[in-house]
Amino acid sequence: MLFFSFFKTLTNQTVTIELKNDIRIRGILKSVDQYLNIKLDDVEVLDLDKYPHLSSVKNMFIRGSVVRYVMLPRSEVDVGLLEDATRREAANQVGKAR
Amino acid sequence: MSFFGFNTTLPRDRDRGPSSRGFFENPDPFAEVARASGIEDDDAIDFEDTYDGLGDQLDDDQDEFNDDTFGGGGDTATGGAVGRDFDFFGRTAQVADAIGEEQIRYSLQNPRAAPAAQQEIHAPPQPAAEPTTKRTGYEKYSDPGYIPDLQAKSSVWGNLQKKPEPSPAMMPAMPSMPAPSRKMMSLEEVEAQLRNQGHSFGHMAPQSMPQMHDPSFMRHPQDFPTLPEGFPTNIPPEILRAQLEKGGLPPHMAHPPPGVQELTTSPPQNLPPQGPRHAGPPAQRQQPMPPPPSRGPNGGLPVITNPQQLVHLTEEQRQAYLMEDAKRAKRNHKIFLLSRGNGLMTPQDKNFITRIQLQQLVAAAGNVADSDPEAVLAEDFYYQVYSQIRGAPRQHPHQPLGHFAQTYLLQTGNRIGGHGNRRAFQSADNHMQRMQQQVQRAVEAAKAKPKNKQLIIEGSLGKISFSNAKAPKHMLNIKRPDSSEGVRPKKLQSDLSVGDRKSLLGNIEAVYNALMSMEDMERTMPPPPEEGDTEAIQEHMEWRQKVQSLNQKLWQALKVMEPIVPNSTTPHPFIAFLSYAKGKKAIPRIFRHIDQEQRVTILTMIVVHLDSLDVVRLAQASGPGDAQLPVAVREAIDLFSLAVMPSLLGYVNEAPFNIIIGLLGLVIAQTQVIGVARTKIGLGILTMLLSRAELVKEAGQASERDWQQWVEKFNVLFDMLEPGLAHIFPGSINSGDDMYVWQFLAAVGIGASPEQQQRLVIAVKDRVMETVGYSKTLPADMASQRLGNVNLFMRAIGLDVELLG
Amino acid sequence: MADNEDVGASVSEPLDLVRLSLDEIVFVKLRGDRELKGRLHAYDSHCNLVLGDVEETIYVVEEDENEEEVTRTIKKQEEMLFVRGDSVVLISPQA
Repeated sequence: MLFFSFFKTLTNQTVTIELKNDIRIRGILKSVDQYLNIKLDDVEVLDLDKYPHLSSVKNMFIRGSVVRYVMLPRSEVDVGLLEDATRREAANQVGKAR
Repeated sequence: MSFFGFNTTLPRDRDRGPSSRGFFENPDPFAEVARASGIEDDDAIDFEDTYDGLGDQLDDDQDEFNDDTFGGGGDTATGGAVGRDFDFFGRTAQVADAIGEEQIRYSLQNPRAAPAAQQEIHAPPQPAAEPTTKRTGYEKYSDPGYIPDLQAKSSVWGNLQKKPEPSPAMMPAMPSMPAPSRKMMSLEEVEAQLRNQGHSFGHMAPQSMPQMHDPSFMRHPQDFPTLPEGFPTNIPPEILRAQLEKGGLPPHMAHPPPGVQELTTSPPQNLPPQGPRHAGPPAQRQQPMPPPPSRGPNGGLPVITNPQQLVHLTEEQRQAYLMEDAKRAKRNHKIFLLSRGNGLMTPQDKNFITRIQLQQLVAAAGNVADSDPEAVLAEDFYYQVYSQIRGAPRQHPHQPLGHFAQTYLLQTGNRIGGHGNRRAFQSADNHMQRMQQQVQRAVEAAKAKPKNKQLIIEGSLGKISFSNAKAPKHMLNIKRPDSSEGVRPKKLQSDLSVGDRKSLLGNIEAVYNALMSMEDMERTMPPPPEEGDTEAIQEHMEWRQKVQSLNQKLWQALKVMEPIVPNSTTPHPFIAFLSYAKGKKAIPRIFRHIDQEQRVTILTMIVVHLDSLDVVRLAQASGPGDAQLPVAVREAIDLFSLAVMPSLLGYVNEAPFNIIIGLLGLVIAQTQVIGVARTKIGLGILTMLLSRAELVKEAGQASERDWQQWVEKFNVLFDMLEPGLAHIFPGSINSGDDMYVWQFLAAVGIGASPEQQQRLVIAVKDRVMETVGYSKTLPADMASQRLGNVNLFMRAIGLDVELLG
Repeated sequence: MADNEDVGASVSEPLDLVRLSLDEIVFVKLRGDRELKGRLHAYDSHCNLVLGDVEETIYVVEEDENEEEVTRTIKKQEEMLFVRGDSVVLISPQA
């Protein structure tokens, strides 16, 4: 649940999502679920000339599995806390495995 | 029967074969309308196009248990025909508890599927049951314990009226008549309608119902449900029948008598009245009325109150009327399609599902108020702590997370990660300010006891600045004596073998593990035990023991106590630890969890290895000043300033004097002082020690003997430093960040003898004058900042930049 | 966190190796001829990652005028990047 927890802190931030088919979409992260499906608002498709069919889309739901990257605002990420959260997650995983 | 060649069976009756699909999958009741009125609109949804055929897949074979489900079988009265009057509502009410249990159990097992499952549980039994029912459903009325379903009875009346005996003349209009009553039917309504269809067919129009030929309905009036007590009987069925024969009532007029309506609204579900059935005021009930007015634009049409009126209309009017009717039928049909699921769930069901959904929502938002906070923390650590740090509204004011926020807030000073975010720079400034304050205090304290040497210095400075141009040049030409020694190549971190590196990183992770365990322990600290409460004392003891063992674990992982191997090619493990960003970042957290003795051990370790610290070694290897340093080294220095220095300063500020003396002795004995002095970190540590010593002395806490010892060490240090003093500034004058140098010079200046102060001035006077000159070219605020830095030093030796004009 | 005896110190599972690289520069190879280099801030058991100060390298094979295949590289910088785990091929410490 680390990344679910992580993305929850990024709601209402502007992010850019690169899909596995190379489409890059910028928008406001409205919500995320445990599968890391993502709901984006005020969507803007970068390289719109390449993907004109998306020109009128204003908000969208993105299935988590088609995401390649999510570019995040650095100022909204607490890396120290995130690293500790990762350590805890790793420890929990080990705990569960035992 | 058919006058115009239409199939005159009502559409809703037509599909009522033994293989009926279930009442809520009625075929399109209005398809006929569209055809009859010649308006084939593509928008109208044809049932056959949309019907998914699910009903056909119903397994009707396995009905052995039908009798168990619906009561004993073999009722010859119905001749095995499918009855359409099964009392769903009553039956469902009987098993409502069981269904409810099922729902709860299912939703507990599978909370995510619950909303969907609810409907599935509810829906299938009804379509499945309907076609297999072989009973009239009236048997139960002989059971004295049975509480009659009042609603069902009420509709008996209504539908008795509703069943029209269509005259051939009005056939084209007739199919539209059921329309109004079709919209928004509740489950009860649908059931009731079904049931009294059976009756009315039995009594009124058996010939229109091929599958209902059984004349027993006619012959056995006792099949007619007995009326419950108090049921209004003021409208005998005969009257209604007579009315029907006079021309029939539009179905929507099939209102139950007033008393009945009261009863219909009283079932436990308390469903809001749906559809026109409940809408009309009682006064209208006995009078034929037009279908509900959905005739906006065609308001000019005559009001058709009786189907027979249609016959007398002009062709044009009739066309318009039919058009209107068709439109309405289309609309109603859409509503019908939308409302197929109406009444499937009771309000309780809906509430139940709403609760489940809300709960899921809450869980998804990390808002599980009543679940274990520890579990929440384990699953949602980042979000929970982050929300607190960043000031998001607290989700759980009672959750014991406060200290986590503290832990990480304390870290904000260190939360630089070498990424130069705004906060980090702010806290970098904070650190510099703290150092500044310390030096300032030392300066102020020193000035309080003036040494009366200002005149001499003032004179010499005047002379230097205005008449002696030789000295600066000379100073500049001095060959740096340390340039070969200071850059003595040392083993670089990247030269470590992969195995070393891995074990070092493993150590660091072990440190973090211990740290996080200790932070967790802090949270579970039992309240201080009361006197005599042995159990609590015991608990406390155990807790302290655990903390102690964790402390030991942390201490071992830090490897501070590893023996120092002189001239080793690999750095001491603790120094290697500090060369990693995450090692540096861990220091403030470590300092919170160790005692003073451990802190001084760490400080000693750092001082002894000062010139093999990455931030010192790499800073001097690349030449003076960190302006030209590689980005990675600059980031490391910033991080060290942010993360490590405040912890060290915090300790030094409380350290006893003899420790300060000892540490200075170590710097002199163990390190290349000139090289160290050319780095920000090296100077920072020296500044720390020097200013602390001055404060101790001014506070009168230093014994004479200690002070003598200190002065000896200081003199040695000064002599070692002096040749390099001109080169301790980073880069050129306009590179900015030389504040820490002035702080250092101030700290040296306070402790220096008059003679030493003079040497100091000579060594740095160029930089003083340059800075004063340069600040004149700067905007006022920057200029005053730069001059302020210089003045810190000037005032330490009893001067002021003002004096320089 | 209760009972993780020296998880950091003992590297018993593959992902423990990745843990050592937390807050260190790592090299990540991805599907689709992509590589990343950046500081590792987070990972999970699906190899979802968060990297800071990332340089992405994409290798594109093109034909030049002589119809010979040439590999062109595209480099991109990102300050903070979430990488979906199903694209990840390998994670390696960048010493």
